[in-house]
Amino acid sequence: MSQDVRNLVKQYYPNFPSKHCGKIYHDTTEFMDISYGDVICVNGLHYMVLRDEVERRFGIEDPKFWVKRCRHLETGERKIIKLVFYEKFLLKLGEVEILCHRSPGKESRILDLVRGDMRFMQGVSYHDEKNNNVRVLDLIRGKSLDIVIYNIEEDHETYFRKHFPEILEKFIGACEAIGFMHSHGEKHGDIRRDHIWIESGTQKYRWIDFDYSFDFYENPFALDLFGLGGILAFITGKGDCTVGYLLERGFTKEDLAGLTEDDFSIVFHHRLVNLRKIYPYIPEKLNNILLHFSRGTDVFYDTVDEILGDLKPCLDLLGS
Amino acid sequence: MDPKKILIAVDASENSLRAVEYTGDMLGGGEGFHIELLTIERFPDRDLFETEEVWKTECKKNQAAYLDFMAKAQKILCDKGISEKQIFSRYIESCKSPLKSPPLICSMGTNIAHEIMGIIESEGFGTVVIGRRGVSKEVEFLFGSVSTKIVHYSKGCAVWIVN
Repeated sequence: MSQDVRNLVKQYYPNFPSKHCGKIYHDTTEFMDISYGDVICVNGLHYMVLRDEVERRFGIEDPKFWVKRCRHLETGERKIIKLVFYEKFLLKLGEVEILCHRSPGKESRILDLVRGDMRFMQGVSYHDEKNNNVRVLDLIRGKSLDIVIYNIEEDHETYFRKHFPEILEKFIGACEAIGFMHSHGEKHGDIRRDHIWIESGTQKYRWIDFDYSFDFYENPFALDLFGLGGILAFITGKGDCTVGYLLERGFTKEDLAGLTEDDFSIVFHHRLVNLRKIYPYIPEKLNNILLHFSRGTDVFYDTVDEILGDLKPCLDLLGS
Repeated sequence: MDPKKILIAVDASENSLRAVEYTGDMLGGGEGFHIELLTIERFPDRDLFETEEVWKTECKKNQAAYLDFMAKAQKILCDKGISEKQIFSRYIESCKSPLKSPPLICSMGTNIAHEIMGIIESEGFGTVVIGRRGVSKEVEFLFGSVSTKIVHYSKGCAVWIVN
């Protein structure tokens, strides 16, 4: 146990049990060793580690040992610290495998680009004494978009008429934020519905996690556009409209008999995107946007502006 | 538009090799052609590498592969009976190259099809030849496709897609 940590805790965090005081880390290379009660010192500031972050997807918890939930001792603020982890992994999208890389440098660059723009998570980057990148991120209090949608306990039509117009309006703002990134030559890299956080209080939609990178062939932003299309289908359908999901919600096999392969997602072949076939009150113009992400399409969106050009007029077609 | 002014857009891939061979087979022995091999340099993203040095090494390897391919392609065309005076080469460097300062005309690498079409239109090429990767619709959707874009958007020229 380090006397330095005890002194810091005594000064800044007297309620913290001294028996859990760990070590001070000026070098974060061995991030697996840094755990509860340790203190990361960077740029002269001290961050006590409270726990490793965990990503929850599809009911499974996936610990992220290079991401630490911390308390900034000097101010008492909660922070998230991301350490260097050069991970390569195959991301499977439907039948397609994409080699993804984690790039701390990319995330730092984007944090600089979006500083003060609350459509994005905020944070600063430092380097520890071994020149490892250390990103100190502000915590966003709120819930991810998928959780918020799941928690709306109403039937689809009520949801669509009562809640969807506001959700779509905010999603359009989120698309504009991605367009801003692209206009600066940056891609988000991992656009998913749980990477939009809805901040408590302000209800702002805020993008998180910019550290994914991948090689591309012709259009560096196509994967981001696909992500936006996926979220649009999710918020329009109030969930992933797989056949199983729809049967659970009262549709019969006869109701779904008219669906064809072309009505489903070009990448996730089990997710319906031609939603107007089952929810006929969805305006055709909005449905046509979704069809750009279907197996039947021959026309792809090339830019966020193209999506927005079609999406914005849809707002006037919604409501009761 | 001059149909005998032909642009072969190549990278160092097997698909490009097929495009070059096909052009040679079609035009070998002919006269009055202007056949230009065009390579637009595209390096892997810097973000995919841990250090600048590793990235530079990879870029050097890629550049060498591009240049080797250009030389090989010229030879293939010659061997198939196209006289040397009809063959031209153009290599457009990446604006983001870590190997040297980019020249005035360079490629941003974010829309290569658009850059190729710009050359076709501004310099009056009547025919463009390009190899197709033969990827699935899903892959084309997720990553884009130079040949598909050229088929969809080029105007005033013939497009030869070599599968």
